[in-house]
Amino acid sequence: MKIVVCIKQVPETNDVTIDPVTHNLDRRGLAGVMNPFDKNAIELALHLKDTATDDVQVALLTMGPDDYAESLREGMAMGADEGYLLSDRAFAGADTLATGYVIAQALKKVGDADLILFGRQAVDADTGQVGPIVAEFLHQPQITYAASLRLSGKNEVTAERLLEDTKQTLVAQLPAVVSVRSELNTPRYPTPRNIQLSFEKPLTIWHHDDLDLDDSRLGQAGSPTIVTKVYAPKPVKRELTPLTGTPSEAASQLIKALKGRQLI
Amino acid sequence: MSKPELWVIAERRLDHIEPTTQQLITKAKHLAGDQFHTVAILFEATTDHLENELTAYGPDEIRVVRDDRFPTATDAEHADALEQLVKKYQPNSILFGATITGRSIAPRLQAKLQTGLTADCLDLRFDDETLVATKPSYGDNIMCEIICPDHRPQMATVRPNTFVAEAADGAAEVTTDTVTFHPVDRLQVKAAVPVVNTATTVGDASRVVALGRGAASEATIDTATKLAEKLGGRIGVSRPLTDQERFTHDDQIGQSGNTIHPELILNFGISGAVQYLVGMQDSQTIVAVNSDKDAPIFDVADYGYVGDAPAFMSALLAQFV
Amino acid sequence: MPATTAAAEKLLLQMVDDYTTREISPEDMPMDAAGDFPAGFMQKLTDTGFLGIMLPQEFGGAGFGPEVTAAALNHIARGNASTAVTLEGHFKTIDQILKFGTPALQKQLLPSANDRIFAFSMTEASGGSNPMGISSTATREGDHWVITGDKIMITNGGLAQVYCVLVKTAPKELSVFVVDQDMPGFSFGKREDFIGLRGTPVGEIVMDHIVVDNDHLLGKLGDGGIIGDSAHDDARILMGAVLTGIMEHELKIATDYAKERKAGDKPLTELQVTHRKVADIAMRKETTKLLYQRAAQLKAAGQPYSEEAAMAKAHGSRAAVSAGDDTLQILAGYGYSREYPVEHLIRDARAMEIAEGTVEKMRSAIATAEFNK
Ligand SMILES: Cc1cc2nc3c(=O)[nH]c(=O)nc-3n(C[C@H](O)[C@H](O)[C@H](O)COP(=O)(O)OP(=O)(O)OC[C@H]3O[C@@H](n4cnc5c(N)ncnc54)[C@H](O)[C@@H]3O)c2cc1C
Ligand SMILES: Cc1cc2nc3c(=O)[nH]c(=O)nc-3n(C[C@H](O)[C@H](O)[C@H](O)COP(=O)(O)OP(=O)(O)OC[C@H]3O[C@@H](n4cnc5c(N)ncnc54)[C@H](O)[C@@H]3O)c2cc1C
Ligand SMILES: Cc1cc2nc3c(=O)[nH]c(=O)nc-3n(C[C@H](O)[C@H](O)[C@H](O)COP(=O)(O)OP(=O)(O)OC[C@H]3O[C@@H](n4cnc5c(N)ncnc54)[C@H](O)[C@@H]3O)c2cc1C
Repeated sequence: MKIVVCIKQVPETNDVTIDPVTHNLDRRGLAGVMNPFDKNAIELALHLKDTATDDVQVALLTMGPDDYAESLREGMAMGADEGYLLSDRAFAGADTLATGYVIAQALKKVGDADLILFGRQAVDADTGQVGPIVAEFLHQPQITYAASLRLSGKNEVTAERLLEDTKQTLVAQLPAVVSVRSELNTPRYPTPRNIQLSFEKPLTIWHHDDLDLDDSRLGQAGSPTIVTKVYAPKPVKRELTPLTGTPSEAASQLIKALKGRQLI
Repeated sequence: MSKPELWVIAERRLDHIEPTTQQLITKAKHLAGDQFHTVAILFEATTDHLENELTAYGPDEIRVVRDDRFPTATDAEHADALEQLVKKYQPNSILFGATITGRSIAPRLQAKLQTGLTADCLDLRFDDETLVATKPSYGDNIMCEIICPDHRPQMATVRPNTFVAEAADGAAEVTTDTVTFHPVDRLQVKAAVPVVNTATTVGDASRVVALGRGAASEATIDTATKLAEKLGGRIGVSRPLTDQERFTHDDQIGQSGNTIHPELILNFGISGAVQYLVGMQDSQTIVAVNSDKDAPIFDVADYGYVGDAPAFMSALLAQFV
Repeated sequence: MPATTAAAEKLLLQMVDDYTTREISPEDMPMDAAGDFPAGFMQKLTDTGFLGIMLPQEFGGAGFGPEVTAAALNHIARGNASTAVTLEGHFKTIDQILKFGTPALQKQLLPSANDRIFAFSMTEASGGSNPMGISSTATREGDHWVITGDKIMITNGGLAQVYCVLVKTAPKELSVFVVDQDMPGFSFGKREDFIGLRGTPVGEIVMDHIVVDNDHLLGKLGDGGIIGDSAHDDARILMGAVLTGIMEHELKIATDYAKERKAGDKPLTELQVTHRKVADIAMRKETTKLLYQRAAQLKAAGQPYSEEAAMAKAHGSRAAVSAGDDTLQILAGYGYSREYPVEHLIRDARAMEIAEGTVEKMRSAIATAEFNK
């Protein structure tokens, strides 16, 4: 069985600021780390590898600049077998659609993945869109926000998915695309020794020419969305609505207000 | 020439409409003015009448598509059905709730349509026919405005409870339509069961009743426990209350306790020290009850009552049905 | 440094930070209160491979060098000094087996250092500062040695399973042997109830006619003094790193608090008296950091580092106590309260004016080194 986990590298903290002059995001000095949610996806893959009766190969795949290799190494130090880095200037500036396209094309080249795993969302852009987009491009069924997943038969997985107040149980025939919730598991730490040994595992780098790509669908040119403005949110100065009268009168004002906000 | 269409994709939540749908209809109506024709798109079983939960919010049209497979349809099946409608009506823009379901179906549809999708928006406006969507990123530390100038439809998912649903006059026209349901047999929904009150810690709870030194008697804590149950939430406490046997550090809110972001937090008898506030000030709706009108907790509250906390709490509990 | 080494070191520190934040820091206050680490804590640390950070790869370890090993303990100590000191005791002991053990002994013992803790014991009831005052002995019987004696105040005593012990092999001859808790005649004695580093077990071992092979001798007969000094040198670099971590923790508490606390209507950050304290804390932290990093750098380069290591600990231990005292004063009532961590950071730092050689002994070592220049 072959599992590919897609991972993204993100700034280590969300405390980013806006450059007052250029109005661009000031990401100077921010180290990149693996998107924390992607560790849950890797942990799921490794758990399946540890517990399955037949051989499970876990590959990691990321699209991004060369330093994204650090996150691939980290994932390999956790226990993944190999890594793929999709790196080319032509991929830069992609929105989720163009990102999903390149990842889908690369997955076709990797070939034969039974399970393609995603984190629930990247903590920087917070969209969670790449997984479903890739699933659509590969014509595969998807289980998003999986809260649990197990192999339930030859070529079959059973997963639970928590909607706002409903728990679904889904059964998928493989291959399938799955994105995972962080509650699914607690990712293992890479051990110091495995950190060292990860540098001996294969890391494949694919550039533009290594993949079968339609250039009009890449990078900025292939991205329908444009970010026109970036700004720091004004601190929400809350508008205090006083509740007045006797406790009983005030309580009924509150109930009315909470109903209006659909909180009760 | 007919007006371009602005769609809200209605979402089902068990046997009802997900409240975000109603919020989005209200917002869509505000955005539309005379410029757009607002349409709620509703997929339901042949015997369902969920449109009855939408009419009061007054979209121009509720377009219903019925098939008994819809209530348990998967994301790909929904996206496929939506694609057929989009091809037919060519809407200008489509809004989804940024619920789990909305965030799963929308990007699949986006990929089919090869258009842009802005995620988890906190605000929307139109510049002419261009949808300008404001979305937070970096854990809500940064806001960005995103447009999709050259592709149609424009798509956005919108965070639940961002807008307030308001009943509106004018009878919505309910129309029906059909699509070809293409089942994807490789994925089946085997069961869907409601889950209630899964929160085991104050950090997980979506509603929190927070108690401070001004609401610390045995009787008050008992009342608060009942109130928390009614709300489907949990009790949290300020630091002084962790000295009581029934609370531990795990229940504490604040700098040296838990940082929480519930949908609703009711603060009783809490002064609002900085170390407390940092743990809860990002909650969505904040209510404070304190006998001191100058208590700093009121600076971060949406609703405030100056008075006796135990008395207010009992009154509130009594009025809960 | 090869690019992969730098990349691996970066990943190591990232992992250590992550582990510290999630697994170690939350236990800092509870450990101090309970006087022990919680159940399962050491097992998890072991399972995650912390015991093998500096153990060479040929013995199943990770084989990280002295600089990043010290940095790792520094990062751990930002969350909890006790855990860092437990690792310090283990690492300095491994270092002596690597330096002085025969290849056969290394091969036999060191693979187990990935999941068994090692300790180094010199001190006895008669005093730690004067090694010649000890009364433990090893006597040759045929091709074996028989060890008898009582060692106290051993970092990881009771927790560790392998002990390097300083004994007399002749009235004026100090030597070091390695004993294992599984050996007949080995038993644990009293555990100390220390006022600081309360998550680090410090205790006693009793050796009653333990029989060991000749290859359990480290170095040569009579090398005890040299090996003891070497253990101190290696330990002091790591303690400098731990002390720096404590000061980083103190500095964070002090600055966070000063930014939020108001004196009248001004935040504490606008008061001159706060400036002076915060600047002093920062300078103490930074000088200690430079000292331990310098010593680690010399060690990595194969150059003498004894004096620099002594400076890191001698300077750093008082610096961390003083920095803690200033932090306490900034927090005032809260600083004096056991509910907040400041007071226990002072108690933790205070241990390092005693352990691994008292500051008095270190000063005399530093001064002697200067006279000899
Ligand atoms: C502030 C900001 C806001 C943005 N908003 C939008 C927006 O609203 N709409 C839009 O289309 N684009 C948006 N983008 C662009 C978007 O961030 C990029 O397209 C990005 O490459 C992928 O999207 P994501 O970060 O949202 O990932 P998500 O879709 O949130 O990531 C989900 C999962 O997909 C996988 N994944 C994500 N990226 C990669 C990758 N590069 N390589 C391998 N696997 C990956 C991981 O498993 C990850 O957990 C925004 C970018 C920024 C900086
Ligand atoms: C380093 C540090 C970390 C800290 N971390 C935390 C933390 O994580 N969490 C935390 O909570 N605190 C923390 N504190 C303590 C914090 O500063 C406050 O002391 C604490 O939050 C006060 O709790 P309180 O609001 O319940 O009590 P008080 O401040 O005593 O306030 C009680 C309030 O109840 C009101 N009241 C009294 N009677 C009534 C009544 N009958 N009806 C209505 N109102 C009434 C009073 O007007 C008053 O405002 C920390 C402090 C420090 C120094
Ligand atoms: C937390 C902790 C962990 C420890 N871990 C270990 C361990 O792992 N292994 C181990 O063997 N021991 C360990 N010790 C013991 C420690 O090494 C001794 O406490 C230390 O060497 C001092 O010995 P002592 O307590 O017997 O004091 P003494 O040697 O009796 O000294 C008393 C005082 O006299 C001063 N003094 C003595 N001789 C001289 C001199 N020649 N010049 C100047 N001043 C002098 C000392 O500085 C001290 O102030 C640990 C101690 C602590 C607190």
